[in-house]
Amino acid sequence: MKIAAHDSVKSRRPHHSEQMILFDVAKRMFAISAEAVQEIRSTDSLAGAANEIEEPEVIKVRHTFERSHQNYYVVNAGVHFGLPVTRPTLVLILRRLRVAVLVDRIERMAEISAVHTLPLAFAGDERRWYRGLAYLDDHVIPVIQPSGFLTAEEFSYLDRAWSEMEGAVRA
Amino acid sequence: MIAETPNSAASFVLLQLGNRRFALPAGLVSELAPPVRLHTFPHKTPLVSGVIVRRGRIIPVYDAASILLGRSSSMHRFYLIARRDFDGRSELSAIPVSGECELATAEIQPPTGEHPPFFSGRIHIDGEPIDVLNFDALAACTAADRGSRTEDRS
Repeated sequence: MKIAAHDSVKSRRPHHSEQMILFDVAKRMFAISAEAVQEIRSTDSLAGAANEIEEPEVIKVRHTFERSHQNYYVVNAGVHFGLPVTRPTLVLILRRLRVAVLVDRIERMAEISAVHTLPLAFAGDERRWYRGLAYLDDHVIPVIQPSGFLTAEEFSYLDRAWSEMEGAVRA
Repeated sequence: MIAETPNSAASFVLLQLGNRRFALPAGLVSELAPPVRLHTFPHKTPLVSGVIVRRGRIIPVYDAASILLGRSSSMHRFYLIARRDFDGRSELSAIPVSGECELATAEIQPPTGEHPPFFSGRIHIDGEPIDVLNFDALAACTAADRGSRTEDRS
């Protein structure tokens, strides 16, 4: 056994770097691949196009909007991660998923050279939430798994609730 | 002169948590690290308080004191880095400890009577009984176990 001095993290494997968007929710920082985000809008600009939706099984989604003939669900990232309630100001509209995410603010863009595997010790929902962890400027930042915001089951609950609401409006 | 030790004697690292000492099989222990920064982020795994960065690796930190002492240890001087097994795959893990660790050789006695699953036995060092930790069982404890293991078995 030995006592060793402090050291800095260094990547052992050559990796291609990845452009990430660093964003805050309830003063916690997260990273998401820029490639996974189609558009960033202010919540105000989306307000006119959004419809309310209420599905008790998916309380993190309160709004939906239509885009390219598809229904997008707006996930409150604070509720998703179990963080204190905040007033999100931005919406990240994801690519290839019918999901938009409410966040507090964009911190900055960053080039991340390595995404470390989430340690096996983490055994809860976070295994679905995160692709891994990034180490940047002496901070460990969870890297978002975009498909982890809504499960297939949650999509089906929301799609059913939305169909019922549309049916009621037509009637 | 070479001291004779019983055949069944094994090496243990003695770690200090609060005012109690526990033992871990020395073969599991990698190093004693200084109190580097604990990084936290949202997750739902009981007992894991965050991660530290050591030698280019991201290492999960287990709040062992919350199970063993019934409360989180607010003061710690080092991280004991040990190996945890996950169905054949091992991973380095950190336990915050409040004092320096010692290496000791002793014969492990099997646990007697009722005992938590995370104690695999007991050794005696200078007359002091010290519980030997089963790290895998300890790390698998859930939030429900917190605070329910506070009795001093010595």
